[in-house]
Amino acid sequence: MPNAAELRKKPAPKLGHPSRRFRKAAGVVQFLAPVLGMLVFWEFLVRGGMLNGEIISAPSLIAARALVLISGAQDYILFQHIWRSLYRALGAFVLAVALAVPLGFWLGLSQKAYDWLSPPLSLLLPLPAVAWTPIFLVILGHGDITIVLVCFLGAVFPVLYSTIQGVQAIPRHSIWVLRSMGANPREVFFKVLVPASLPALLTGFKLGLAHSWRTLVAAEMLAALSRGLGFMIFAARQYLDVHTMLMGIVILAALGFMFEHLLLGVVEQVTVRRWYGSSRERA
Amino acid sequence: MRRLRPIISIGLPLLLWEFTSRMGWINNFLFPPPLAIAQAIWLQVGPYGNPPYAVLFHVLRSMVRILAGIGLALAIGCIVGLLIGLTRWGNAIFKPVISIIVPVPTLAWTPVLLLIFGIDDRTTITVVFIAASLTIIYNVVAGAEMLSARVFWVVRSMGASPWQIFYKLIIPGIFPYLITGLKLGVGFAWRALIAAEMLAASSYGLGFMIFDATQYLSMDIILGGMLLIALMGYLLEHVILGRVEARTTGRWGVQVER
Repeated sequence: MPNAAELRKKPAPKLGHPSRRFRKAAGVVQFLAPVLGMLVFWEFLVRGGMLNGEIISAPSLIAARALVLISGAQDYILFQHIWRSLYRALGAFVLAVALAVPLGFWLGLSQKAYDWLSPPLSLLLPLPAVAWTPIFLVILGHGDITIVLVCFLGAVFPVLYSTIQGVQAIPRHSIWVLRSMGANPREVFFKVLVPASLPALLTGFKLGLAHSWRTLVAAEMLAALSRGLGFMIFAARQYLDVHTMLMGIVILAALGFMFEHLLLGVVEQVTVRRWYGSSRERA
Repeated sequence: MRRLRPIISIGLPLLLWEFTSRMGWINNFLFPPPLAIAQAIWLQVGPYGNPPYAVLFHVLRSMVRILAGIGLALAIGCIVGLLIGLTRWGNAIFKPVISIIVPVPTLAWTPVLLLIFGIDDRTTITVVFIAASLTIIYNVVAGAEMLSARVFWVVRSMGASPWQIFYKLIIPGIFPYLITGLKLGVGFAWRALIAAEMLAASSYGLGFMIFDATQYLSMDIILGGMLLIALMGYLLEHVILGRVEARTTGRWGVQVER
């Protein structure tokens, strides 16, 4: 049954039309055209004096500033900022996974544990992770540890809840079948529990990484000492350095996009789609 | 026993905290006992606070900001979402722009907004707007794309005017997705608001309240404020919007993919 999305697409080209690769390239160009148009329009507005260049700088200047910060003249400081941010976000994410996955497995498998521990956890759930920043600022002061802890708290809940859901959704029959054939707990764990919960786990990882990254930006603005993308953007405000601020935003967008699609997309491709894709074809 | 369980599993740690803090076994400057926290917050709620009725003003300010931001986001998000989902030109123009803005963490816009608006309510409201509108647009687009063309042809063949089509086909069709988008958007917007209030350092607001308390190292205000933030977030997202969701999509039996 056709829906609005399909109607909105153009009809498929007939035989003899240019190859798929051309169409794909044309699609990319069509996607980028409005963006490029907007950038050109923006540049135009700033140079024409209609947009206050002090507050919103021209794209060309932003790119120029990026080049300056990458260069050796400033000690490659942009890379230092990026590296510090990545280090904090990924570190927090790894810690969150290390805690949340075992905890999630335990809570998913044991109904009693879930009933007892779920109320306090759901009390902490609606709390935005950034709200933990003042406490850690008082206890631990500014710096890496505060930021990593805040991002850890941001990432832990999505991963935990996805793991619990994934484990609770494992069909009990699979476990019983294996145990009736005499498998020991270790085999049950590796042959049933892990593969069956993997899609939910990967979804949780995606969410957790995204939350960790988003909390990182806010936490760095509040608590970083000297390095980090959030810090770079916020500190540039004091010098009214709009170029750096907007460039920081572009970099954040690029990194976020990279995380989402490349990093976890690859992992998903290699594991879940390979295992589940074939069964979907058969069915 | 089952009803008691949440009370015990939350109450027992609180009791332990109260006891160990008052005995001095854990640092009672860093972890003031829960009763003292409640007392400090209660003091600030009343006329003897500093300034008087402080907490009420903070909560009210945050509420005003989030409602304003969400209202704007609903209006503009619906329009843009419908344009993207239903028209070819809307899709071609808006979708790339939105796709580029979405990966940017919402709070990264705060310094730019601070430069444009200064320390003003408009900064925080715009942050809320960005957070909520992106979610609403995403969901409305999903809903609009799911509208069945066959029903559209049927309705049109029976001579419906464009206005009727809009009111009777499109709006009810996207409504479940809109509600989902609204619920998610409110959640994201609340988080963004708290962080933006901490950064934009305005004069009132829950985020400002707990961040300001770090200057005076008042852990009781910080912890009490965190509880209030969690409570308000829960109220907004689950109680109010949960009820709306239950009465609309829950009752009509429409399942929405999240």
